[in-house]
Amino acid sequence: MRRGVGLTLLAAALSVVVSSCGNGVIDKSTDGVPPAEATGTLRVLLPSFPPSTKGKEEFQKVVDDFHKTYPKMKVEPDFATYKNLNEKMSTSIAAGIPYDVMVTGVGWVQPFASKNIFEDLGKYGVTPDVIKEKSTPALIPAVTYDKKLYAYPLIADARAVALRKSAFREAGLDPDKPPTSLAEIKVAAEKLTKRDKDGNITRSGFDLASATGFRQSFVTFLASTGTPLYVGGEPNFDNKAGLDTLLWIKSMINNVQPYGQTNAAQQPLVLTGEAAMGIVNGGVDCSADGIGQKNCDDLKFFRFNSGKEIEYVGGDLASIGSRSRHKDAAWAFIQTLTQPTTLDAIAKLNKKVPAYKDASNSPQAKSNPLSQFVADGLVYAVNENEVPSNWLEMRGNFDIQLTQAVLGQKDPAKVLHNLAGQSR
Amino acid sequence: MSTTLERPALATPRKVTPAKDSRTLLKSQVRTGWALLAPALLHSGVFIVIPVIAVLVLSLTDYSFGDTWAWVGFGNYADLFRDVDFQASLWHTVLYAIVVIPISMAIALAVAVGLNQKIRGLTFFRTAYYIPTVTATVAVATIWLWIYNPGSGLANGFLSLFGFAPNRWLADPATALPSLMVVGIWQGLGTKVIIYLAALQTVSRDLLESADLDGAGRWQKFANVTWPAIGPVQFFVLITSIVGTFQVFDLVYVMTQGGPGSETRVLVMDIYQNAFQDLKLGYASAETVIMMIVIALFIGVGRLLQKADAND
Repeated sequence: MRRGVGLTLLAAALSVVVSSCGNGVIDKSTDGVPPAEATGTLRVLLPSFPPSTKGKEEFQKVVDDFHKTYPKMKVEPDFATYKNLNEKMSTSIAAGIPYDVMVTGVGWVQPFASKNIFEDLGKYGVTPDVIKEKSTPALIPAVTYDKKLYAYPLIADARAVALRKSAFREAGLDPDKPPTSLAEIKVAAEKLTKRDKDGNITRSGFDLASATGFRQSFVTFLASTGTPLYVGGEPNFDNKAGLDTLLWIKSMINNVQPYGQTNAAQQPLVLTGEAAMGIVNGGVDCSADGIGQKNCDDLKFFRFNSGKEIEYVGGDLASIGSRSRHKDAAWAFIQTLTQPTTLDAIAKLNKKVPAYKDASNSPQAKSNPLSQFVADGLVYAVNENEVPSNWLEMRGNFDIQLTQAVLGQKDPAKVLHNLAGQSR
Repeated sequence: MSTTLERPALATPRKVTPAKDSRTLLKSQVRTGWALLAPALLHSGVFIVIPVIAVLVLSLTDYSFGDTWAWVGFGNYADLFRDVDFQASLWHTVLYAIVVIPISMAIALAVAVGLNQKIRGLTFFRTAYYIPTVTATVAVATIWLWIYNPGSGLANGFLSLFGFAPNRWLADPATALPSLMVVGIWQGLGTKVIIYLAALQTVSRDLLESADLDGAGRWQKFANVTWPAIGPVQFFVLITSIVGTFQVFDLVYVMTQGGPGSETRVLVMDIYQNAFQDLKLGYASAETVIMMIVIALFIGVGRLLQKADAND
C-alpha cells in the first residue's frame, strides 16, 4: 500500500516535470481560423526595436495596429540584438517553442532557409517583382534562397565614407576631391594620421570600422574593385583582387589606425573626430544632442570606388518561422511592420533608412545629410551577395582568420585559400 | 524456583521479537532512504545523466537545429582534430589552466596563512578577499576592461609612472591571454582563501606545539605539520579549480570575445560558438565530450600527484 502511494507520488512528480518540459506552452494552430477569432501568442524576435522606452512605445504601436486585425492574439516580443540573434533562435528551436516572426540580417536567410527554419514567402505573394516595386531591390539576393524568397526587407543598413574637411585642409588635401580608390585612400590616410612624439597614433587617418573583425570591411573594399565576395554561393575572393584587398587592409592597420580602435559609444570615429576619415553607418544626429551642427558641417560623404562605385548595404529582414502555428497571423504582423510609417519609425530608431521604394524622400533621409546620402546611394548597394548555406559558420571564420592575416599571424594568401575551402 | 524457570522462557521470545522488529525497521529505513534520495536521484537523472547521454548521442550526429539530421559516426571527432579553431581553443584552455591553477592556489594559500594570524583588521581583509568571488563576472570583466583600456586605463597609467610605454593588453595577441589569466587568478582567489582558511584552522594545535617544543622553525612547521594536514583540502581546491578553469567562458565572452583573432578563444567559447552561433549542435556536442575527457584526465593527474604527495 505504502509502496503504491510512493510510486503514485513519483509518477505525479514525473508527470509535472514532463508536462512542464513538454508542449504545454504550444498553441493550437490558428492558420485558416478567421483573424477575429484567432487566439494564441505570436512570438516575435527582432533586433529592429531597441529595448528602450521609445523602442517599446514604437513597437506597441505596431501591436496595436496588428490587433485591429487579430484582436485576440497576444504578441510576445523578444528585443534581441544581432549579437545574440542566433542563440535566441537556436535555443527557441531546442526548447520546442520557435518564434513565429524572426527578423534577421543579410547573410542569415540562406542558412536558415536551407535548414527549413524559415517559411517560403511565395505563399503570401512575395516575389522579386513585389520587392522591386515596393521595397529595396538591392536586398533581393539577401532574401533569396534556391530561387525562393524567405524574407521581406524592413530597413536598409547602408554605409558610406566620411571625411573631416578641416583635417583635409590641415593636411593640405582638397576635401572637395575625396580619395575614393583604395590606393588614394591609403595615401591620404597616411597624411592625415597624427602621432605623438613616441610615434603612437593620436588621430587615425582612416577608420576601417573593424574593431571586432574585418569581415564587413573586407567585403566592402573587395566589392569596390568590382569583385563580389560570393557568386551563386561560390567563393570569389581567393584570387588577386582578394589578396590585394587583404594586403591593403594589413598595410593600413597600425599604420593609419591602431588595431582594435573603438570608442565607448561605439560611434564611427570620424563622427567624434578621433579619425580624419572613415566608414560611417546610415545616419548622424546633427542636433545638440548628437554631434552638433558644427561637426556635421565639417563632414563630407562619399563612396568607395576602386573601379566600381559601391555602398555596403545590410538590412533588417522579416521572416516567418516554418514551425509557427500562426503563419497567417505572422504574415499579417509582417504586413503591419512594413507599413511606411512603421518603417520610418524603425529607421529613425536605428539611424538607418527605410527599405521602401522611395527611401530618398523618407522622413529619415530628410532628417540628416548622411541618411540622405546613403538613401540616394542604394542603387550602388553591395553586400556579401549570394552566400553559401554555411555562412553562419563562415562569418566567424572570416572575422578570426582575416584578423590573423592582418596581424601577421598567418599568411594572407593561405587564409583566403582556407576560407574559400571552408565555404560550402 | 518457578520464577527463575519462567524468566528464561520469557527471555527467548523477547530476543526474537526485537530481531523481527529490527528487520522490519531495516526495510522501512531502506524505503525512507530511497525516498530521501529520490529528489536527488531525480535531479541527477534529469539534469546530469540524461544530458550526458544526449550529448553523447548528439555528438554522433550532424544535428544543426534543422528538420533533418543524420548519423555521422565519429565524423565530428575526426573533423575536430583537423579544426584549427578547436586546436587553438584546447591549447589556450590547457595553458590557462596550467598557469592559473597553481598560481592562484599558491597565492590563496599564502593569503590564507596570513589571514590565519592574529592581525588587525582581519575581518576586513577576509571580506575584501572574498568580494571578487561574490561579484558578477560581467561586472568584474567590465572593471578590468577599463583597467586594460590602452588609452585611459589604470594599468597603463600605473606603468607610465615607471616610464613604461602603453600596452594594448587585450588587443595585442601577445598579451591578451596573459591579461585574462591575471583576472582569472584575481577572481578565483576569494573562494580558495576561505577554504584554505577553514582548513588551516583545523590543523592540530597539539602537533604544532609539539613541533615548537622540538625546536622546529616556521617553514619546518608548515612543511611537516600544516601541509600534510591540509592535503585533502588541497585536492578539493585542485579539483574545483580544474573544473572552474576549464569552464571559463563569461570572462572571455565579455572581455575579448575570443580575440584578437583566436588568441583568447577557449574551449567553452568554441563550444558556444559552434552550438549557438554556427548552429552545429552535433559538432559542439563532440567537442563537449572531448572537454569532459580532458577534465577527467587532468583530475586523474591531480589524484596521482595527491597520492604521491601523501606517500611522501
